[in-house]
This record gives sequence, structure tokens and C-alpha cells, in this order.
Amino acid sequence: MRRQIRVTRLLLWLPLLAFVAPGFASQAQTPRDSEEARDLKTFADRVQAYVKMQKNLEASLPPLKPTKDAAQIAEYQHALARKIADARRDARQGDIFTHEVTERFRKIIRKAFQGPEGRLARRTIQQDTPFKVIALRVNDVCPENIPLTTTPPTLLLKLPELPPELAYRFVGRDLTLKDIKAGLIVDLIPKAIP
Amino acid sequence: MPAMRRSAFLSCVALAAISLSLCAQELTLPLKPDSVRFAAIGDMGNGNKVQFEVAGQMVAYRSKFPFEFVLMLGDDLIGGKEPIDYQNKFELPYKPLLDAGVKFYAVLGNHDISNERFYKLFNMNGQEYYTYKKSNVRFFALDSNYMTPQQLAWLEKELQNSGSDWKICYFHHPLYSSGATHGSATELRLLLEPLFVKYGVQVVFAGHEHVYERVKPQKGTYYFTEGASGELRKGNLRKTDLTAAGYDQDRSFMLVEIAGDELYFQTISRTGVTVDSGVIRRAAKIAGAASWPTVRPGLDGLPGRTVAKASGLGLPRAPTPTE
Repeated sequence: MRRQIRVTRLLLWLPLLAFVAPGFASQAQTPRDSEEARDLKTFADRVQAYVKMQKNLEASLPPLKPTKDAAQIAEYQHALARKIADARRDARQGDIFTHEVTERFRKIIRKAFQGPEGRLARRTIQQDTPFKVIALRVNDVCPENIPLTTTPPTLLLKLPELPPELAYRFVGRDLTLKDIKAGLIVDLIPKAIP
Repeated sequence: MPAMRRSAFLSCVALAAISLSLCAQELTLPLKPDSVRFAAIGDMGNGNKVQFEVAGQMVAYRSKFPFEFVLMLGDDLIGGKEPIDYQNKFELPYKPLLDAGVKFYAVLGNHDISNERFYKLFNMNGQEYYTYKKSNVRFFALDSNYMTPQQLAWLEKELQNSGSDWKICYFHHPLYSSGATHGSATELRLLLEPLFVKYGVQVVFAGHEHVYERVKPQKGTYYFTEGASGELRKGNLRKTDLTAAGYDQDRSFMLVEIAGDELYFQTISRTGVTVDSGVIRRAAKIAGAASWPTVRPGLDGLPGRTVAKASGLGLPRAPTPTE
């Protein structure tokens, strides 16, 4: 009899719990969400600052338009790379991929490489270049003579969107943030692929 | 001076290839009036003698089949990307075609760099992905190295707005392939195939695998891999359920003619021998629905190692969504 009463009381509380619980849950998630939003905003701001600087430097060069002269394209790339490297001579790994941002990215990448979809992403990566160890540094020109590793398209759906001046590129296991026109490594996360 | 001597030597190679092949040539394309005529090459940019020989065949065939443009399926410049490489791996091999006004429309492969899009003779107009129209055919040139959400959204919008009868996509990594080295780009397929199905893309060209393969239609779309126009992995094509026809014994290139509702194709080896051919028929479009093509294979009994012979010689085949 007592047990029946207890169950009945519990049932009476259930609608109230159902009403209140999501509120608590969302409150509990809020700090985590805001931390994530803050980290991603930090990343977006630093990316934006880089692009602004790159555009300013680019404006000091004669604009690169489609040309039949391949030498012009190479000269432009070298000139822009020199200017950027000079302007960012004090740049260090972690300037854009800050510690917190790096951890966020590692989490996203780890998740993207899990499960059946993750197996496909890993296959995409391994298809072209079985993880070669290449020592990379900020302001290095990406090696042009080795084949590009396709950035897994399902991962690109999960990573923060980049402006067209930059791209996420894997070299071996490292995730690089690459300046497309200059061919420079802007920042990197070593051993990003688990 | 050595560069000039090399170029003279390679030009002689190309000329020799042309003259030797004149007797081997056999054109299966119908040369219909006002048709859209083009060639397709992939993984060609190595600057080796074989690239010049394939280019020589293209020149020779052009005298019979005056194609107006060429789809470059990526790996346009393999290895070095210095100005001399643009010369040795593109301008010199295809000089007779360039001089004749043939336009090349490139996509980037995994051996290319992004700035090749600024090279005017690749006609990318500074874009990593782009679209253009020839008569009733709309081409979508994609960057499969870096398939961003932005590119996918762009593709969807362009496919949606394309009123063209034929929609042809091309990019470097094949969504379906029986190649032993890379195989199918299955992850990329997850994202692209639904768009191809939704908007009725009839034909897709890719490279990457250094062989030629025609894949059985998949969900109504025909897939060709032509990744052997310079590079070759001899014997690298495994026979799978996907394979409709294939060739992995020598370099090759494709010729394509689109006339009304029919797309004719002919794949030719470095020595000028036809290794595959056929016709794909575009079904009449029903309002609001994607239009599925049907295939009618052409020549059979191919020389060299033909992995899977085209069946039903000369007979129309019913469209099968997932053959």
C-alpha cells in the first residue's frame, strides 16, 4: 500500500520534472556552449585579422590576373609569401590555433574520424599520402612537389568556415592553415589526426 | 639551348606518332552537324615522351574529328611547378592544338597547386571551381581536393539554375573506380552523388587512377575515369561489378560528341587504337524530374587488355538505376 502511494506521488511529480528538467539541462550546458563559442570567436577573429593583413600586403603588389605567363604567377606567389613572412616574422605556432582552439579542433577531428563516416574520412586521407612525416613550421612554404592530401569533405562540414584566402590542409598527420595564394603555412596543429 | 633541343626532339616524336597513327585511326563518332565536340585527358602533365605521343594522337584525330575544347581532369602539372614546367608539361605537348585555337578547361588534381587557376591557358579564370556552357551542354568543373560546404552550395545552385539538356560534371577523384591504387572516393560520393541524382547529371569524368574505365551507370549517372593520358599504372584495373569497360595497358584519351539527345564517346590509346566506344542516350525530360540516360555500347573486341567488354553490342539497353 505504502509502495503504491510512493509510486503515485512520483507520477504526480513527473510532469513537473519534465517541464523543469530541460531548463536545468540547458542551464548546465550554457557555460560549455559559451566557452566553445568564445574559443571559436577567438579563432574567427584571428583569422579575420590575418586576412586583413594579407589583403593589405596583397594590395601593394600588382594584382594577379589570369595570365599566359607562368613566371608572373610564380613571382607573385613568391613576392606575397616574402611580404607575409616578413610581416609575421614573429609569428609562432599557436597564434591562430591557440591552445583552447587547438583542443576544440582536436575534438572535432577526433569525432570526425570515428564511426563508419570516420572510416571514410580516414580512407580519404590515406588514399593519397600514407602519413609522411614532414617537419613543418609557421611561415614555411607548403611543399609543392608532394601530392596534396584531400581534406575529408565530411570534416570540412564540421570545421569553422574559412574565408577563401585560407584552407585547411593536412600534411601527414598535421592540420595546417594554409594561405592559398602565398602557399604559406599560417599556423598548424601537429598530429591533429589521431 | 638544351631546352630547345629537347623541344625539337619531342616535337619530332609527336610528328612521328601522328604519321604512324594515321593508318591506325578509326573514327566511330558520327560527326553530326552542330554537335558539341571535345576531348578529355587526365593525369597527363608529366612532360614525358608518352605525353607527347598521346598529344600527337589527339592532333591526328582532330584532323578527322575537329574537337573544339579539351577537359583536363587534373594532375595537369605533375612534379615541378616552375614556369619551365608549364612549358614542358603543357604548352609544348599540346602546342599544335593550342595553335589551332583549341581551348583547355582544367580542374585541379592532387598534384596541382591552387595558383594554376591563374594560368590563362587552363581557362579557370582564377576560380577553383567554375561552370561554362557549350550549346545545350552545361559543364561543371569542380575541385575535388577541397570540397567545401561553399562549393557544394554553389554546385547545387548552379545545377538548379541550369536549364541545359546535358549536365556534365568533372573533377579529379573518381566517385566510382575499380583501380587498385586508390579505388572509389566514397566519402566524396556521399556528398556529390545526391546532387547528381537530384538534378540529373548524366555524365561524370574523373582522373586520378592511372587507367581508363567506364563504370556501369550508377543511379542514372555514367562515370568515366580517364587518368592515363600521361601517367599509367599498367595492369592496375581490377575487374569489379562496377566495370563496364576498361583499359590499363597503355596511355589513352577520350573523344566525345554530343548531338541532341545523344552522347557518343570513343577512347583511343597512345598508339591510335580505339579501346572503347559507345553512345549514351539522354531520355526525354519529364517536367520536374531528372532525365536518365541509357547506354548503347559501340565497338567491342578491343585490343590489349579489356577488362570488361561492353555487352549488348549495338543494342539499346534499358536504364538501370543501380546496375
